[in-house]
Amino acid sequence: MIATESTHAQADPPQGVTPLVEMISIEKHFGGVRAVNGVSLDLYPGEVVGVLGHNGAGKSCLMRILSGAMIPNEGRIRVRGRDVQIASPQDARSHGIETIYQTLALADHLNAPANLFLGRELKTRFGNLDDARMMREATEALRGLNPNFRNLSDPVSRLSGGQRQVIAIARAIYFDVNILVMDEPTAALGPSETAMVGDLVRRLKGQGIGIFLVSHDIHDVFDLCDRIVVMNRGALVGSHRIEEVTKDDVLSLIIKGALPDGWAPRNSASLSARVGVAQ
Amino acid sequence: MSQVEKASAEPLGQRGRIEGVSRLAQKLAALVTLLALIVAFSFGNPAFLSINNGLTVLLQTSIIGLLGIGMTLVIVTGGIDLSVGSVLALSGTVCGLLIQGGLPVVPAMGLGVATGALCGVFNGLVITKLRITPFVATLGMMLIARGLALQLTGAAPISRLGETFGLLGNGALFRVVEMGENGFPRVIFPGVPYPAILLLVVALLAAYLLRRRQLGRHIYAVGSNEDAARLSGVNVDRTKIAAYALSGGLAGLAGMVLMSRLITVQPNEGVMAELDAIAAAVIGGASLMGGVGNISGTMIGAFIIGVLRNGLNMAGVSSFIQQIVIGLVVIGAVYVDQLRNRR
Repeated sequence: MIATESTHAQADPPQGVTPLVEMISIEKHFGGVRAVNGVSLDLYPGEVVGVLGHNGAGKSCLMRILSGAMIPNEGRIRVRGRDVQIASPQDARSHGIETIYQTLALADHLNAPANLFLGRELKTRFGNLDDARMMREATEALRGLNPNFRNLSDPVSRLSGGQRQVIAIARAIYFDVNILVMDEPTAALGPSETAMVGDLVRRLKGQGIGIFLVSHDIHDVFDLCDRIVVMNRGALVGSHRIEEVTKDDVLSLIIKGALPDGWAPRNSASLSARVGVAQ
Repeated sequence: MSQVEKASAEPLGQRGRIEGVSRLAQKLAALVTLLALIVAFSFGNPAFLSINNGLTVLLQTSIIGLLGIGMTLVIVTGGIDLSVGSVLALSGTVCGLLIQGGLPVVPAMGLGVATGALCGVFNGLVITKLRITPFVATLGMMLIARGLALQLTGAAPISRLGETFGLLGNGALFRVVEMGENGFPRVIFPGVPYPAILLLVVALLAAYLLRRRQLGRHIYAVGSNEDAARLSGVNVDRTKIAAYALSGGLAGLAGMVLMSRLITVQPNEGVMAELDAIAAAVIGGASLMGGVGNISGTMIGAFIIGVLRNGLNMAGVSSFIQQIVIGLVVIGAVYVDQLRNRR
């Protein structure tokens, strides 16, 4: 906890801007195992925060709590300064929190439009599914991400990994999204598709959307993120502006749970510049 | 990305079309099997093709069909409902007892169907809230409902339920009857039996539910990938409970039809009916893994079983051999389905 607060001081929030989301003293334990141990984390408009850590460090767990897929034992979540209850994925969505899961969470037997609109299907006046409109809008949304997207009426189990990823992304950004959680969005992708995701992150950032990017790939994180937070054994062990740390510093945080001995901010001058970026 | 996709999109599209064709081919194959059975049986015995026998098949199949429709909804969610045969008996029993107690036939039948739906809701709650697998939960209900039916009636049939009670199972639309010169009624046109009309209406409604309603979409989604459905905001528990409630309600309705046809409530009716229902769904292409299945397939499956039973009966094949044949057909149908999916 103490470590968490002191690292927060190193990446202090911009004055006068309400965070999009604040997770406050979140605890989640399974029996005796403390998967998330008193973590506080916030996210500002237009900010991309990389969430790093070993497997089992608690980062996925923390993100699942924000997505409503998991309910914390303790802690509060505030969205735009207001306390909210997130007890289900529906709750999270109603607060503009969308998630791209590592597993993509697609129903294999349904086609792309049915997956894109799953859980919030468009209906006609009589309450019937409006498949024609869903097909139209899905085509537009998917081709917006990948102009060559086709086979929209096929079950998504027949589509390539890249196409499936595009559906998962389209589903997250198609609706009113304020806060986007991306769990390993590039793990299954080739280089060109990874670049597409990078472009997308920058575009969404420009629209003022806040993004949590959970990743193993430290290079991706340095390319895309404004700030990184590192989790180790359920605790937050570091929160730093990307300019003040090196990749080695981050690796040290991931592996040891602490910065290298004698560490000092690499480039503290740039700290003041980022408030402008955030807006 | 565009280059990668361009290269892979064409073969994928090709494969998609071929599989779409093969899926249609499978349904056609089932339909052809059904027609082949009919042709074969009518060569064996000309009476097989008579209108009266056709009506018998329709009546027999209406029970399997109603149960099979409910079973399809449950199987598509990735579950199974072993309780439908017992629930059919319990619903009939409740209805019979209510009529004996002085309630008119129509509300009594309504409450009989409601009893079935209630059993289904109970199944759904046990599965979703107690997290007990569908197989075990509905096995429990199979024993509970059968036990209840036997306990309530002392295992004795309930008869003398009145002529109106027999109308649903024995009546027909557009039946033309003429009084013969000898004073006996002569049936000119036997009409369309009410159970067949009921089956058609229920099948159309169920197909509409699965294809055009949100609940139907969610039933497929839950069976396809339950976690994905939950994370996408689908209320998985409610979807499952609805599927089991519909299956129970349709079992109740099948109970009304069957008991009405006999004009007697038999607490022993419907033993092993769940297996016919499962067989109908599976022959029709439903996958016990969930996410796959449809009403038209199940209808074809139900008619294959109905025609097989009837045809073998008329050919004088013993009911023991019939069981063997139907068992082999179920295994064969699933094997063919697997071959299709493995490709």
